[in-house]
Amino acid sequence: MKFRALMTVLLILPALLFANGGAEEGDEPTRLVVSSRLYSQPGEQQFLIDEVFPAFEEANNCMVMFEIIEDEPLLKRAQFQKESGRVTTDVVVSHAGQMANWIRNDYVMPLPVDQWTDRTFSKAFTESISMNGQTYFAPVGGDVYLTLINKKAMPYMPTGVDPQDLRWEDYVNWAAAVAEGEGEGKAAVTGIPQKSLIYMYGGMFLSYGSDFPVINSPEAMEAWELLTKMQYAYTPTVNSYDNVSVPMKNGEAWMTVAHMVRCGDAYQSNPSAYILAPAPAGPKGIGSIAGTSGFAVVKGAPHPELAVKFIEYMTEPAMAVKVARGTGGFIPPIDEAIEQLGDSVQDEIIAKGIMVMKNGVVSGVPGGDYSSWGAVKQVYDDAFQELILKKGEVSTAYLNDAQDRIDALKK
Amino acid sequence: MTIPRPLFQAAQKTTLALLVTTVALTILFPLFFLFTFSLMSDYETYSEWPKPLWPHSQVRYRMEKISPQTTRLLIWNHGQSQWQPFGPEHIEANEEVAKKLSRFLTNYGNTTLSPSEILSHVQKAQNSGFHEFTAQKSLSQNYQRFFRLYSGAADAVLHSLSTALLTILISVVIGGMAGYAFARYVFKGKDVLKLSVLFVRMFPPVAIAIPMVVILGRMGLYDRPAGLSLIYSVNQIAMNIWITASIFMGIPESLEEAALIFGANKRGAFFRITLPLAVPGLAACAMYSFISSWNEVINALILTQFRPTFPVVVYKSLLGANAQVHLIAAGSIAQAAPAILFTLIIRRYLLQMWGGVKV
Amino acid sequence: MNASKTPGLIRERQERMAPYLLIAPAVIYYAIFWLFPVLNAISGSFLSAPLKQGGEWTLKNYAAVFTDSMFYRALINTAIIVVVSVSLEFVLAFALALLINKKFRGSSLFLFLAIIPMSLPAVAVGAMWNSGLATNGWLNSALVHLGILGEAEKIPFLAGGQGANILLIILVDAWQVIPFMMIILLSGMQGLKPEMAEAGRVFGGTRWQVLHKITIPMLKQTIVTAMILRIIAAIQIWLIIVMIFGFNRLPVLMEQIVVNVDLYTAETFFRKGMALSVLVALIVSLASVAYLKASGALGAKKEEAS
Repeated sequence: MKFRALMTVLLILPALLFANGGAEEGDEPTRLVVSSRLYSQPGEQQFLIDEVFPAFEEANNCMVMFEIIEDEPLLKRAQFQKESGRVTTDVVVSHAGQMANWIRNDYVMPLPVDQWTDRTFSKAFTESISMNGQTYFAPVGGDVYLTLINKKAMPYMPTGVDPQDLRWEDYVNWAAAVAEGEGEGKAAVTGIPQKSLIYMYGGMFLSYGSDFPVINSPEAMEAWELLTKMQYAYTPTVNSYDNVSVPMKNGEAWMTVAHMVRCGDAYQSNPSAYILAPAPAGPKGIGSIAGTSGFAVVKGAPHPELAVKFIEYMTEPAMAVKVARGTGGFIPPIDEAIEQLGDSVQDEIIAKGIMVMKNGVVSGVPGGDYSSWGAVKQVYDDAFQELILKKGEVSTAYLNDAQDRIDALKK
Repeated sequence: MTIPRPLFQAAQKTTLALLVTTVALTILFPLFFLFTFSLMSDYETYSEWPKPLWPHSQVRYRMEKISPQTTRLLIWNHGQSQWQPFGPEHIEANEEVAKKLSRFLTNYGNTTLSPSEILSHVQKAQNSGFHEFTAQKSLSQNYQRFFRLYSGAADAVLHSLSTALLTILISVVIGGMAGYAFARYVFKGKDVLKLSVLFVRMFPPVAIAIPMVVILGRMGLYDRPAGLSLIYSVNQIAMNIWITASIFMGIPESLEEAALIFGANKRGAFFRITLPLAVPGLAACAMYSFISSWNEVINALILTQFRPTFPVVVYKSLLGANAQVHLIAAGSIAQAAPAILFTLIIRRYLLQMWGGVKV
Repeated sequence: MNASKTPGLIRERQERMAPYLLIAPAVIYYAIFWLFPVLNAISGSFLSAPLKQGGEWTLKNYAAVFTDSMFYRALINTAIIVVVSVSLEFVLAFALALLINKKFRGSSLFLFLAIIPMSLPAVAVGAMWNSGLATNGWLNSALVHLGILGEAEKIPFLAGGQGANILLIILVDAWQVIPFMMIILLSGMQGLKPEMAEAGRVFGGTRWQVLHKITIPMLKQTIVTAMILRIIAAIQIWLIIVMIFGFNRLPVLMEQIVVNVDLYTAETFFRKGMALSVLVALIVSLASVAYLKASGALGAKKEEAS
């Protein structure tokens, strides 16, 4: 009876595994559980495990359990752990855009930042980490916006333009020239809603002297005027881009102003095929939104003191420099560390990022000021569809209306 | 019909063969490309146009002298049939640069070249202006990634397996019992009950996901992958009730009655007559339960920490694979393989569908 | 143990209790794991905030849904996807099942192939179609290799409008689901006795008449089950849409719940998402009851089944 045999296996195997799964752990060194959205590349994790954690583990007789998990499930797991009373995570690394949710839901504890006198968190990154005078997150892995150009676009570059010192009008004219010459647009942004379009355009508005995320200031209008000229400069499939490094890598798109990690992904895959540069400049210089991630101690964590120690260890300027050199792709969001790195960085991506940081108008993400940052993002996504792709001209009425929608979400 | 019978039969056979082949090709077509991608390097995946139908097993490189100190590397692009620059804009002949290039060629070309080999190629290019060579491409490199960094992958497979088997057990037994009741008995509230079972599948899971897992957490089943099966069964039981009900209805009750006449009791009649007849249907239930449990990630991510299931391991190793679809392809094939293997095993029961049932 | 030995009265009682006893485990299971979260979601949709935090009973969340233009777009898109995809998938799957319902060489391999699309994880399906539908993707590559397209003339699959996008989703879904439907229908057909169809033909019925008068009525239970599960699943299609087009681009009901609950997250949006969930459950229920009524499955007596 094959069927009966199958049923027996079905019954016994899980029973055995259930029993096994329930076994208690013996006494191992303390396990500090760190759940992070950052350092997802295998090489980066290897570097942390081999070069960064051992010193800390030895000094504190513990084991750092480092796991990678995206922001959304991380937040959901925090909710689950809090509500079921089984908090097993000590430290989380969240993105700035989610920090407000962590703090508001009371999932994280304030950090004793006053005692850490040897480090200054860079101003551009501090917007999201605190609420009501308390600092909950210690920033790590800062990012800004860069320009990435496929060398195939070089023949269309307007005369007298230096790709390393682009101005927005140059970028727009260049993109328009490519579209005319090639018969179809070759510029990319994240056309899929709810992604990073707001930051791409927000940085540009900053370079014209507007505030973030104001959409209808006179300065922003100036930028919109320019952007609407790009109606046909974007690729036909721009609305399907979730991550611009994909079209940049496969040649569908030739130019983009994007998050440094996105630019970096494409650039690293073949450095000789691309030009990497800081984001274009406007009348007020280079503008960029700065994003960051941050360490925080989970409320109810099994080892809160050790968790604080760990964060202190990881955000020491010397350590931040070491991690930045070893992992690549991000700027350390600590003034002393940026100072130390100076112009000595070999990594092209970090070097360009630091240029933006030092010379640019940089703003953080004021997610905490709005009841729903996702809904604010959508306003930008809608404006992109309506004014740029559909109409190709600025409508003051539309933008005023859009600003009202943003203001309505303000707390 | 005026068509001669043998001719008609032959035509019928050909039509069937054609149809089956078309359907099989339609199913295979996208899968084939997914598999091809999983064997390709980053360069092949993104820079070749049109994409090769089959990955090349070798890569052709060319080094060109730019100046007495610098060299550049080119790669042969099959799609465009030309040499294209690959890697850094220029290569200096020193250890540090060679090391970096070696890493680059592993990551983006899936070729292994040691720094000293690279330096010797550079030397040759410097001597004669240019130098061409081929390198063996590793076809398994994308797959190795899942087992290199994460040592617990084998454990995770075990966790997933036990979760899936338990899900089958719970959902087929509980679902099958209720299904049998709906098929064989007339009772008060039958329609309402049957509809409310359906309602379980109607309520959007997103809205109840967290409170549902919280219940499990409070019961102390946190981080026990087998406990996950309780969550997976919620959706599965409802489905199995409906499928088994329709299967039991299809099995004539007269067979059971006949057995009763010959002296079997009701239980015996069920186990000896009805159940064997229902095996293909139950196998289908088991298969769907297995597949849905095997592939689930969201709840498993929330509910496990030290004992992740295999999809969670794949998910985590893919987070770093931004814009690298060849790695995602390898990961998803690695994840799908056990589920496909399971269907291969259970196929024999499903197969009883063909050629009638032996009573 | 031995039912035949128990006295008649008790046995009759047992017989009457039997269906309830058989259903009890399922009911208990749902009472523990499912009922509470659902009641929670339903009551939450009528509250402005949690009761503990001074929330009040309100209909505002529902008002928010009904004043949102996205809701109506989602409703229409969902309706189109459900009607077109379910009928298309059913007709094709049924036709395939009918034609393939005989043993042929390689039938074992074929069945195995048919199961594969269902067993792929979501990430695989997403990666497959994203890399396939991209302008430089494999679908265009394959067309070039086959000589259908020249190298310069690629089809921008993802640059279409709303209608083209819906069509793509329906096709992608069909690729995954038709084999599944086919298997359920085949598993129902195994119960059919070939003699009956044969008898129909002997008495002069045409193929169509045999199908219409004998095969379909006999398969009715299986068809109803396959259809109802499919309708419910089709209303809940969203992940593949999000993987190909992202959120808010091709709004459907389920996706809008996720947008409000997981993306906009704020209390007001979360509660709007709960209200939307209740509405979706209501819509699915109405659709299923309507379908079951129309197909005559509700209130059906046993003789119809066997």
